[in-house]
Amino acid sequence: MPEDRKTLSVSPGAAPASDSLLQAARRTAVVAAVLAAILSTLMTAHYLQTRSADPLKSQALARLMLQLRDNPEDAALKEQIRALDLLARRAYFLNQWQIRTGSFLLFAFLLVFLASMKIIHSRRLALPDLGREPGGGSYWEEKLLARRYLLLLGTGLGLVAVALGLVSESELKKYGSLSARREPAGPPGATAGPDPVASPKQAASAFPGLEALQQNWPGFRGPDGNGVAYAAGVPAEWDGRSSKNILWKVPVPLPGKNSPVVWGSRLFLSGADKKSEVVFCFDRESGKILWQSELKDIPGAPAEPPRISEDTGYAAPTLAVDGRFVCAVFSTGNVGCFDMDGKRIWARNLGIPDNHYGHASSPLIFEDLLLVPFDQNSGGRLVALRVGDGSPAYEKRREVQISWASPILARTPARPELVLSANPLVAAYDPRTGEELWQVKCMSGEVGPSPAYADGMVFAVNEYARLAAIRLGAKAEMAWEYLEDLSSVSSLLATRDYVFNVASYGAVSCFQAKTGERHWIHDFPNGVYSSPVLAGGLVYMIDINGITHIFKADKTFQPVRSNELGEKTFTVPAFMPGRIYIRAESNLYGIGEKSS
Amino acid sequence: MLKGYSYMFPSARTGAALAILCWLGGAWAAWAQIKERFPKPDFQSGYIRPDLQTPAPRSMAWEMADIAVLAAALAAATYLAHRTRSRRSIFLLMIFSLLYFGFFREGCVCPVGSVQNVFLALFTPGYAVPFTVIAFFLLPLAFALLFGRTFCAAVCPLGMMQDVVILKPVRIPGRLADILGAIPYIYLTLTLLFAATGATFLTCRLDPFVGFFRFGATFPLVLFGISMLVLGTVVARPYCRFLCPYGVLLDWMSKLSWRHVKITPGECNNCRLCEDSCPFGAIRTPVLESPPPVGRMEVRRLAMQFLLLPAVVLAAGWAGAELHLVLARMHPVVSLAEEVLAHDAGKSGEVSDPVKAYRASGKPLAELLSEADALQGRFRTGGWLAGGFLGLAFAWKRIHLLVRRKSPWYDLDRGACFSCGRCFSYCPYEKVRLGLIPPDAVPEPPENNNLNGKNHA
Repeated sequence: MPEDRKTLSVSPGAAPASDSLLQAARRTAVVAAVLAAILSTLMTAHYLQTRSADPLKSQALARLMLQLRDNPEDAALKEQIRALDLLARRAYFLNQWQIRTGSFLLFAFLLVFLASMKIIHSRRLALPDLGREPGGGSYWEEKLLARRYLLLLGTGLGLVAVALGLVSESELKKYGSLSARREPAGPPGATAGPDPVASPKQAASAFPGLEALQQNWPGFRGPDGNGVAYAAGVPAEWDGRSSKNILWKVPVPLPGKNSPVVWGSRLFLSGADKKSEVVFCFDRESGKILWQSELKDIPGAPAEPPRISEDTGYAAPTLAVDGRFVCAVFSTGNVGCFDMDGKRIWARNLGIPDNHYGHASSPLIFEDLLLVPFDQNSGGRLVALRVGDGSPAYEKRREVQISWASPILARTPARPELVLSANPLVAAYDPRTGEELWQVKCMSGEVGPSPAYADGMVFAVNEYARLAAIRLGAKAEMAWEYLEDLSSVSSLLATRDYVFNVASYGAVSCFQAKTGERHWIHDFPNGVYSSPVLAGGLVYMIDINGITHIFKADKTFQPVRSNELGEKTFTVPAFMPGRIYIRAESNLYGIGEKSS
Repeated sequence: MLKGYSYMFPSARTGAALAILCWLGGAWAAWAQIKERFPKPDFQSGYIRPDLQTPAPRSMAWEMADIAVLAAALAAATYLAHRTRSRRSIFLLMIFSLLYFGFFREGCVCPVGSVQNVFLALFTPGYAVPFTVIAFFLLPLAFALLFGRTFCAAVCPLGMMQDVVILKPVRIPGRLADILGAIPYIYLTLTLLFAATGATFLTCRLDPFVGFFRFGATFPLVLFGISMLVLGTVVARPYCRFLCPYGVLLDWMSKLSWRHVKITPGECNNCRLCEDSCPFGAIRTPVLESPPPVGRMEVRRLAMQFLLLPAVVLAAGWAGAELHLVLARMHPVVSLAEEVLAHDAGKSGEVSDPVKAYRASGKPLAELLSEADALQGRFRTGGWLAGGFLGLAFAWKRIHLLVRRKSPWYDLDRGACFSCGRCFSYCPYEKVRLGLIPPDAVPEPPENNNLNGKNHA
């Protein structure tokens, strides 16, 4: 290129190659690059070092925290933890300062380097190679090629879009089509046949009717959760110490505050500790464990169990069984469903219960739905899952505080209603859809006792709130209330004529169901956490020392007898013809008249 | 006297400089990771600080000040490009814009992202787009319509970030540039679709430089930014040219601009000095060769292009609609619903935070699914429109390539030119204008270029 052409293109004010600015820029660029490289090396090394020695994940601190859990009053240990914690925080903030300072320095070096390079390159001209044709080739050939490539690109994109669209699957669409197939569910009341244990074929096709439910003990407080046993020949006398009428006694491998449930020849309960959640199936004639199935590998299940109180434990909710499936809920929010032979059908996690004592509400199976009450500190909801596959049927948000009560099914002449009690309301829902049918604001505090239903009336109670009688009809409304000696744990028992309320300190009171008149009150010597059950006109109530008090369900207090088990008991017994099954603190008892 | 410059920094040295930049980039990425890796010192809750997404809100007074600064910067850039034609002044204004709109304003609101707010407002009745955003959206477009892309010259902080790292730009072949030029259309289409459906502000989420402005971003974003900067040393302003969705709108406006900068202040004598001066490939060389003869075949081809246009638009729209399930997953509600269902079906592993939050909210599943279903429907409609727009853009671009251009002089591609002023100083007539050389010192065109003559450009 001729010299004059280059001269002409120099920027105004451009300096000769040997000028001092250029030299300075070159040296500055080198120095800045070297410094930035050194700093980068240091920062990278620092990054690797801090990654491997993260002060916030100090194993020493974790160890000390574990020790503190065992010795919560150890002042020296607390001081040690504080010191270590302070050290970790200091390290954290020092690290932050180093990162901040280093990054600012690095940024400054980069800026200097770039500025120097810009100065150097501003002296370099982009002059054309005059030996080359202007434009570097045929203009029209270039355009032709560009058109061709654009066509290929556009067609390719379109094909990729269509292919992706065809192969992509949406869980939503699948769910929608599945729901549509599930809509025409069988009519309520279809029976499972004479054999209470349904075959797999039956399990897939039909749910048990009321008769089958009443022949068994399908959930917390029996059929519909009402505390009424339909079994005949229930034993009235036993003694755990002398083994009188104790058919068998077996230890339960894992602790749990849930009550036994029975279907056919099988008895089910669950146990859990911090590490495992297990469903057990017993042969109710021999007490042998037929199978046990651990609930594990559930997506979303917490790695650590939530904090709970020992009174509640990790397995407080009672199982629900319907002859096809047996379903369990645990304090972790895990829900599992098994077939009658222990094969896991499905399992899922409903979210970790935000519950300071531990989740305790029991589920209930209604037709093809598993209804799980989930009233937590973070909000109340009623979760309905399809019992066959665990898919969600509906979720009803409830404007209530946390509660530990379990649902009952009120079979009113008009419809089945799922009744739940919590602070501040007692409410009923259509169990098939979750639609709220009525609500009465009458509860307060931390509601533990479950409600009861009899003859068009719903009864709910909580200590320091009230015993509320709600008359159903065109509009649900309070019929009467009572304010003294109320239950805080034990659930109500209602019959056509009477309502029985059991205070946790052992005071049992009987009310006239329609008017609220208190017929009698009797103080039993021990406290009661279990709930009373009506069987054959008698009320069975177990106190915390394992003594079952039996009295007549009548307007006067008429004790029948008291049977000692010899072991603390907090659960509700299961009643089957000629049998009672009691889960005590450590053992499971089969009780019935021994044949000679 | 300038001979030494051509080999002062040969390619080996430039390569070394690039290597250093890469190394620094790696360290910067590590720094960003270090910063993001540490949670706040809360040992119990397990809370993890969310990624930095937007800067803190500003007072109305500051917002007004921002609009004023933007307007002033645009006016200054226009004045410097059109009147003083001073690259140095433009560069200084560029540094100011980088500091103000980039580091001081932390890159938000920027006109590039504002297009999303405007589109969201158009399709979401409940969303009121702030006045500041409207101003940031319209002002650069208005200036582009009047004076070309002076916004890109010295005001856009994203462009400035790349401009300062241009070291040894290579020339992108015309056909490749034409194809890469289609990418901003795709990006713009997706940006508008996701904004209109309320899914996400894609351009903001994928802004490669916002992490530098705010001194914090996710590792992939920092890496993306560093890659752009490293690439930008040899491919000048790659984001602006081959990605920027707002650039598409500016391109359209600039093509129609009332006044646009020119290489020469007076006339062009095809001296070729400016030929390689533009690192963005916006200088068009003269086209003297005769185009292929216009025969019936060619006329028929052009007519066919126009006739097929509706079919192409429809086919592309259908393809877009087919993709709606995939696209809808970008919406957090659809994504959440699918995740919840997959989790319920035991298909997913760990529970994500959104699923946990949803579970804790107690919101009925039916409600969530209904929302998600409606959104998928919106994406289907949006897919039709987006696909149709893309089809139209591609087809129109192909038709445009058939248009015969015959120009005997060097001129600027108005759509692609950033009005940065780099080419000015290469023109001998600019030297004459500045009084640096006498008019008779203007060199004659080289003998072998067949581009003789003069043009009052």
